[in-house]
Amino acid sequence: MAAEFTRTNPKSLITTIYAFSVILCALGGSRTLRLNSESELDDSDSLVYLWPLPSEFTFGNDTLSIDPDLSLAVAGSGGSSAIVRDAFERYRSIIFKHSTRFSKLKLWGKPVYDVSKLRIIVHSDNEELQLGTDESYSLFVVKNDDHSIIGVATIEANSVYGALRGLETFSQLCAFDYETKTVKVYKAPWHIQDKPRFEYRGLLLDTSRHYEPIDVIKQIIESMSYAKLNVLHWHIIDEESFPLEVPTYPNLWKGAYTKWERYTVEDAYEIVNFAKMRGINVMAEIDIPGHAESWGAGYPDLWPSPTCREPLDVSNNFTFDVVSGILTDMRKIFPFGLFHLGGDEVNTDCWNSTPHVKQWLQDRNMTTKEAYQYFVLRAQEIAISKNWTPVNWEETFNAFASNLNPQTVVHNWLGAGVCPKAVAKGYRCIFSNQGVWYLDHLDIPWDGVYNAEPLEGIKDASEQQLVLGGEVCIWGERVDASNVQQTIWPRAAAAAERLWSNREATSGVNTTLTALPRLQYFRCLLTRRGVPAAPVANFYARSAPVGPGSCYEQ
Amino acid sequence: MPKSVSYGHLSRYLSKDFELKTDGSKYVDASEILKGGFSRLLDVIEAAHVIANNFSHFDQSVLLKGIHVFIFSPNDELQYGVDESYKLLIPANGNPVYAHLEAQTIYGALHGLQTFSQLCHFNFTTRAIEVHQVPWTIIDQPRFSYRGLLIDTSRHYQPLPMIKKVIDSMAYAKLNVLHWHIVDSQSFPLEIPSYPKLWDGAYSISERYTMADAAEIVSYAQQRGINVLAEIDVPGHAVSWGTGYPSLWPSKDCQEPLDVSNEFTFKVIDGILSDFSKIFKFRFIHLGGDEVDTSCWRKTPHTRNWLQKNGLNESEAYQYFVLRAQKIALSHGYEIINWEETFNNFGNKLSRKTVVHNWLGGGVAERVVAAGLRCIVSNQDKWYLHYLDTTWQEFYMNEPLTNIKNPIQQGLVIGGEVCMWGEYIDGSDIEQTIWPRAAAAAERLWTAYDNLAKDPRQVTGRLAHFRCLLNQRGVAAAPLAGPGRVAPAEPGSCYKQ
Repeated sequence: MAAEFTRTNPKSLITTIYAFSVILCALGGSRTLRLNSESELDDSDSLVYLWPLPSEFTFGNDTLSIDPDLSLAVAGSGGSSAIVRDAFERYRSIIFKHSTRFSKLKLWGKPVYDVSKLRIIVHSDNEELQLGTDESYSLFVVKNDDHSIIGVATIEANSVYGALRGLETFSQLCAFDYETKTVKVYKAPWHIQDKPRFEYRGLLLDTSRHYEPIDVIKQIIESMSYAKLNVLHWHIIDEESFPLEVPTYPNLWKGAYTKWERYTVEDAYEIVNFAKMRGINVMAEIDIPGHAESWGAGYPDLWPSPTCREPLDVSNNFTFDVVSGILTDMRKIFPFGLFHLGGDEVNTDCWNSTPHVKQWLQDRNMTTKEAYQYFVLRAQEIAISKNWTPVNWEETFNAFASNLNPQTVVHNWLGAGVCPKAVAKGYRCIFSNQGVWYLDHLDIPWDGVYNAEPLEGIKDASEQQLVLGGEVCIWGERVDASNVQQTIWPRAAAAAERLWSNREATSGVNTTLTALPRLQYFRCLLTRRGVPAAPVANFYARSAPVGPGSCYEQ
Repeated sequence: MPKSVSYGHLSRYLSKDFELKTDGSKYVDASEILKGGFSRLLDVIEAAHVIANNFSHFDQSVLLKGIHVFIFSPNDELQYGVDESYKLLIPANGNPVYAHLEAQTIYGALHGLQTFSQLCHFNFTTRAIEVHQVPWTIIDQPRFSYRGLLIDTSRHYQPLPMIKKVIDSMAYAKLNVLHWHIVDSQSFPLEIPSYPKLWDGAYSISERYTMADAAEIVSYAQQRGINVLAEIDVPGHAVSWGTGYPSLWPSKDCQEPLDVSNEFTFKVIDGILSDFSKIFKFRFIHLGGDEVDTSCWRKTPHTRNWLQKNGLNESEAYQYFVLRAQKIALSHGYEIINWEETFNNFGNKLSRKTVVHNWLGGGVAERVVAAGLRCIVSNQDKWYLHYLDTTWQEFYMNEPLTNIKNPIQQGLVIGGEVCMWGEYIDGSDIEQTIWPRAAAAAERLWTAYDNLAKDPRQVTGRLAHFRCLLNQRGVAAAPLAGPGRVAPAEPGSCYKQ
């Protein structure tokens, strides 16, 4: 069976058969979810309830029933991967959440379902997950016709991670029909060709301001996969606490809030592996030298002095030994090619006010600003020596752009217009403008997030290539396990579509028509999967629903 | 807090292949309730951190090989009043060492497993699960048989996974009744096979529960020792019924209460309860009966005529409705729970099988039990969770037996319930509005009166730990400091917020 599908381009197989027309987010149509007297979906609705919107798709008018005993058939050299098999099982339990025990299609003895098999073809058996890993896939759901006995759903992808994205899309096409008690795919036949617009689609999670339990981190990773995000930026450590075990410097996690609020090395491996099974990279961060006070709880020498504790002591070689030790330990855990070195909000007063640091500066004839640059560049060298590409917050670029290592990825946050400057100088950039993509800012409504464009102000095609993507950030000052998910969702999904879907599809003039109903639908889908996503339409994020009503309208 | 606790000062570790042993138990576990409970026990204690693979460096004598569970009753029927007591021993020595759990019923044993899970802590040095303060002897039983939580799936639909998560977390706090306020004026989400248009009153085609879904919820809850109390709130909270059957309304313009003059109204109630009796096996059914504004009966010509013909005033018609609904419920084998307005208006007419559900305020339970009826306490000033300004301390201090001295009358207070009304609650905020405040009430309902703290400040540390434990198990319990559902005020440890 595998030999049949040896070609590597997933488009090759079916594009030759079907002509694809790009359907830019179909407009208009009445809502399909209202319960009218017929209790049926209104087929005239042309809105496609997929999130994020695939790059190319066509659909028809058929309704197909899906066998509750849906089986998996794999092909291609990567088809037998455990990543595919486990994902199929996860999605099976999502798709068949309601009991189909009383399916009316089963009442007449032999059940008759239109689709009994999901075929997944994966061309490559390379399971390495990295920036730029091929996430494209094609998905076809077609009714049986004269040429075949049963209808089939087919996902074809180059990598297992593309197959995961296809499974997510397939699960979103499936809807439980309460009348027949079966799962249906409406508007078939579906032909979908999909790939992400940006290779970096991130979410930052801060476990220093508040500890997030492992189970909660896993829930977040799982929900990220529903929105096709692919990088968990783990802001592990900051001033407030140091929750991660670092074997080389075992006193570091004395900076944790309590002995219970810590992660072992094995816990970190577990998170990375859990994420990988869902096609999500984990980018670790140590935010130096400015956000590192908690390091000194275990090693007070890292502070300029016990009374002036931040930034890390630039004059002490031990500081860089510790940075190097942390990176050595982390390199074993985090296979992702990017590593975040922070570098933001560095207030160098302590360097000036602490005698031994001041002396060190004078001996080298350095200003504090030069010392900041020295620190960042030296940390970059350590990261590069460990085969990591350094990511730094934009202040490093703003302060000494041309001296940064050319490999540096500049992480924007302060405001608009930074990525255009960074890519003009040849640096790569990640877009996280706090005015639109900081999720802890509760006064940014969904459309503020949705309409933010990472390529704003960048015309040149080769410069556009340098924007790796973007990231929404959920800083933890006022977020803990009790409210993190509803602060992330649904707004992170708005950014996820911006980062995944075609720019033309997401830049329509009337997103209230083209995006809002779909986002409301996706938010309800999240809650139906157990993710506590907040109402979409409230002005303040994370606020309770304004009154009784349907999920689809709130 | 358990009824009686004693402990030592030794430490023991759960062995890598910590096992369940049931030799000598009379209970055969045909529905695998114990097996499921044990497997969930392992899941929650292992969820916090990754356990070491290598246990070879441990001295065998410090390892707990497993837990030996003795259940004396072979019966696994879950019902009101089922024996929930248990005795948990964790000895320091043995060859090999087993924890011992004894219970009359499987449901007592499940509580024992919950207590055991709270004694387990991840040790960051050995990377194993440690039980401190061995040997333990814990003897425990609940103070009240009815320890409830109301959820409302009419004002907002709650997806199945959300309801299941609520049930999971209830088991952690040893609550034992999920009061499912399924239907109300705003929406009718449940399928009723006898009257298949009723769920046309749902918000949308997908905000509905099939009968199979409801059966699944009941079975999921039963596996965790939790009863499901179904409610239809008649006649006053039922506008949504008329979407599918408009003749249940007095008229199109005056849609509530249900049409008292129409025999069809009672046929529908009978059909619903007949369908209910196939899946809701709890002894009680809740018939609502609160907040009945009868003005539509007066304003609508045909109901007004009916009242006149039968010589009834509006309040007599309200009584007629409630009592007739009670008779229907009794005919299906249910005992009845009604909201307190029914008692306040015509308490002496209610079936003697009625349990009066207090909500309007304090002082109702004493009148109810003085009249010889049973009572559930839910006074809204203390136990309504959607009132965010009611603090956990107030939840903790609300005493169901206030002013009830006579032991026979005390016995008529079957327990209490915290209520999570759904006007402002959907899948996004239900967990953090329920927890941790419901846990404060859960201790009030479980723990022997003499073991309860007289000053809630004595509980703060323990409740904060329980809240962090819920977080660790993936439940979005909110900080203690501040009103309900508050965001943490600033960075800090879970244990201090």
